[in-house]
Amino acid sequence: MSILEASGLQKIYFSRFGASRVEALKSVTFSVEEGEYVAIMGESGSGKTTLLNILAALDRPTGGVVLLDGRDLSTVKESQAAAFRRSNLGFVFQEFNLLDTFSIEDNIYLPLVLAGKNHRDMQGLLMPIAARLGIVEILKKYPYEVSGGQKQRAAVARAMITSPRLILADEPTGALDSRSTDELLRLFTEVNRLGQTILMVTHSVKAASSAGRVLFIRDGEVFHQLYRGTDTDEQFYQKISDTLTLLATGGGKQ
Amino acid sequence: MSLGFYPKLAMDGIRKNRRMYVPYLLTCAGMAAMFYILAFLCDSPAMQSLPGAVSLGIMLRLGTGVIAVFACIFLFYTNSFLMRRRKKEFGLYNILGMSKRNLARVLFWETLISAALSLAAGLAVGVAFSKLAELVLVRLALGDIGYSLSVSPASLVFTAAVFGVIFLLILLNSLRQVRFSGALALLQSEQAGERPPKGNALLGLAGLALLGGAYYIAVTIDDPLSALTWFFLAVLMVIVATYVIMISGSVVFCRFLQSRKSYYYKPNHFVSTASMRFRMKRNGAGLASICVLATMVLVMLSSTTSLYFGTESALLERYPRGINVTVRPRTDMGALGTETVAAVRGKILDTAESFGAKPANILDYRAATVYAQLDGGDITTFSAENSVSFTAGCVVVFTDLDDYNAMTGEGETLGPDEVLAYMSRWGGVPSELRINGERTLRVKREAADFAKDGDSAASIIPTMTVVVSDLDEFIESFPLFRNYVGVWSWHYGFDTGLDAAGDRALFSVLVSGLRDDAEAAGISTNTTCRSTNRADFYTLYGGFLFLGITLSVVFVFAAVLIIYYKQISEGYEDEKRFGIMQKVGMMKREIRKSINSQLLTVFFLPLGLAVCHLAFAFPMIRKLLMLFNLTNSGIFLATTGISLAVFAVFYTLVYKITSNAYYNIVSGAKRE
Repeated sequence: MSILEASGLQKIYFSRFGASRVEALKSVTFSVEEGEYVAIMGESGSGKTTLLNILAALDRPTGGVVLLDGRDLSTVKESQAAAFRRSNLGFVFQEFNLLDTFSIEDNIYLPLVLAGKNHRDMQGLLMPIAARLGIVEILKKYPYEVSGGQKQRAAVARAMITSPRLILADEPTGALDSRSTDELLRLFTEVNRLGQTILMVTHSVKAASSAGRVLFIRDGEVFHQLYRGTDTDEQFYQKISDTLTLLATGGGKQ
Repeated sequence: MSLGFYPKLAMDGIRKNRRMYVPYLLTCAGMAAMFYILAFLCDSPAMQSLPGAVSLGIMLRLGTGVIAVFACIFLFYTNSFLMRRRKKEFGLYNILGMSKRNLARVLFWETLISAALSLAAGLAVGVAFSKLAELVLVRLALGDIGYSLSVSPASLVFTAAVFGVIFLLILLNSLRQVRFSGALALLQSEQAGERPPKGNALLGLAGLALLGGAYYIAVTIDDPLSALTWFFLAVLMVIVATYVIMISGSVVFCRFLQSRKSYYYKPNHFVSTASMRFRMKRNGAGLASICVLATMVLVMLSSTTSLYFGTESALLERYPRGINVTVRPRTDMGALGTETVAAVRGKILDTAESFGAKPANILDYRAATVYAQLDGGDITTFSAENSVSFTAGCVVVFTDLDDYNAMTGEGETLGPDEVLAYMSRWGGVPSELRINGERTLRVKREAADFAKDGDSAASIIPTMTVVVSDLDEFIESFPLFRNYVGVWSWHYGFDTGLDAAGDRALFSVLVSGLRDDAEAAGISTNTTCRSTNRADFYTLYGGFLFLGITLSVVFVFAAVLIIYYKQISEGYEDEKRFGIMQKVGMMKREIRKSINSQLLTVFFLPLGLAVCHLAFAFPMIRKLLMLFNLTNSGIFLATTGISLAVFAVFYTLVYKITSNAYYNIVSGAKRE
């Protein structure tokens, strides 16, 4: 069954006195199946971030419905949104969003502490994940002491530690060098193979080519989608690249 | 363009940063106003006309000095907040092609404009309130004053000059900072990465030990003179300890909490403990300053108000009777015969009668006084061979049983080597008196406090009064006066039943009358009058109170500003964190609760510590006030309580206002 279903999502921003309106999302419809690894691609300003915020219950759509595990997100009360995010979603951001007042370990624990878990259980959850992500050595360090790649892996650990239904990643490779990027994408693929559902927003072809399916958004609508099928990363990369060229040079609308 | 380019840029800078600049300018203005008012009062004719104007003048000049030094330190401190925020802007200008020289010109204009604005406002306020201050001061000193407003040009120039120098120093410091940092460093100065504060456990413990030591001194000291000598050391220790504890100790404490996993990994404690650790490192010094300022304000307010409201009782202590005459022989060892005494007594009564006075509450006794060192019951009299330690010094007054019985109405009898005794002001009466190890007197019981002529109140060392069965015989039989310095005296005091003016008239005639006869009789006289001295007392204590209030206002100003800047700068820092926490799944309410608890802790920690300081300082200050003849501890307790209550209410008010400013900044993050 689908973990996530978005249908007819629309988001309109008004300027302060309603003088002008901007339609960030026109009508977005797609679904994500359990265990899928989906990338959403689009140019800057295509509405990617708006979409992600709506999926994360950080923002509400003007129209349309989002179902997570069959539950309508608009029925989640504002006051419960945070707890809902905490228990169902894991986040990975471009700028890592680690708190500089916490050590890496404590940063990863944050969602668990907020959920009221006791410390012994937390440790049991942390160690396997930290080992898989290769961050055991830096657990006691502070964010300012480690590299960008390590920070992002810590952020991934924080996203995974609650065993969320869905990991949402917003340009996770945006602030990483090419080696760290490769490493992170390899991790995502590996985690996905173990059954974790991932939805990634990106405009990096490289990042998208590691996914199992790529959705293209243009002007607030899903314009196209590609399945990997049996392609290798390189072949998939070429296809995505071609599609983007088509998009950029103004291929006719569906 | 009516303004030049640089002044315009500077004006823009000030306007854009008004959240930081306005409080800074207000502080400058406030300090300048206070400074002008004190400088104005030093030269004010109304002040000069007060009795005791000289000591009051010295006090006020001291006050201006304190304000000048404090203003300098404090404006530097607040300017550093400004510079931290402005550096980014300067970095941008630098990258856009302005040279350091151009930046210096912008800075110069900024300083000039802020100096001009704040000085103009400060002096205007100062002039407006100087009359009020003069009225308050003169009223406190019970003087009379007209209502015409005057401006002292000299004080205006003086104030402008002092603050001009301070602004110049600030400018030089800012220039230095811009000069020695590159464009990128300027641009990123606000977000330099921060390592987690370690906090030095040893230093924290040292701070605690220091504080404990100071508290121990304050609590265990039991005589006012030692209190006076130790007070400043104790104050210094407390100040240093406060800074060390706030900066290092608090971080160590947070680390300790973090190491207790079952406590730390709880939703309520997790975020607050970790951020407190960082917060305390950044704010330790600020919080310690707030604490020290709060303590100073509380101590000053409570002690000066209690002194002022205790003026009348201090006056009564010092001058128990309306008129008091003390007669001593011209030569140290000379005796004072009863005929001489009778002659002077007659003269006094005649004079009193001629003014229509009805002498009542009469004090009349002879005494022989020695200065000695008192150690338990051992009295070692002062002589050329053995000098007396200042703090253990004591005045020993021997009086006659007949005088005692006559004055108290008791029918006491004493055997040989039996005496009555009492201690004035502080200390207890021993059961035996061993004089120079030669003679032992048994104290039959504690005597009534009959020989209260105010001399003991004027002395800074305690007085022991010893009643012997026959004074002449006692002195004769005992080689006290032959070998040691001792002075005979006769004390006469009475209430006149006249009004203050009558008292003063009688007093001036009496003084000159007694002086005329004194030389022929081979005596010297010392006459005091409570009414004439009342004005002196009120000038002195009123001056204390005035200065206490003025400096309190300045210090409170400073404390409020530190709090404000602390909240604002923390707001900017927490803005981003607030956003992250929300994304990670913290509810707004949770965040707000956590921030609230941190703010509250950080805010009331200094007040709590200040109250603690005050509590421990209380016994010490109470003893110091004894030196000023304030023996009524009730007054001091009451004024301390009231000062504390007023300060706490004010402090809470400031907290409410500044935390709103904080939330306004932080809530900018919630739209993300």
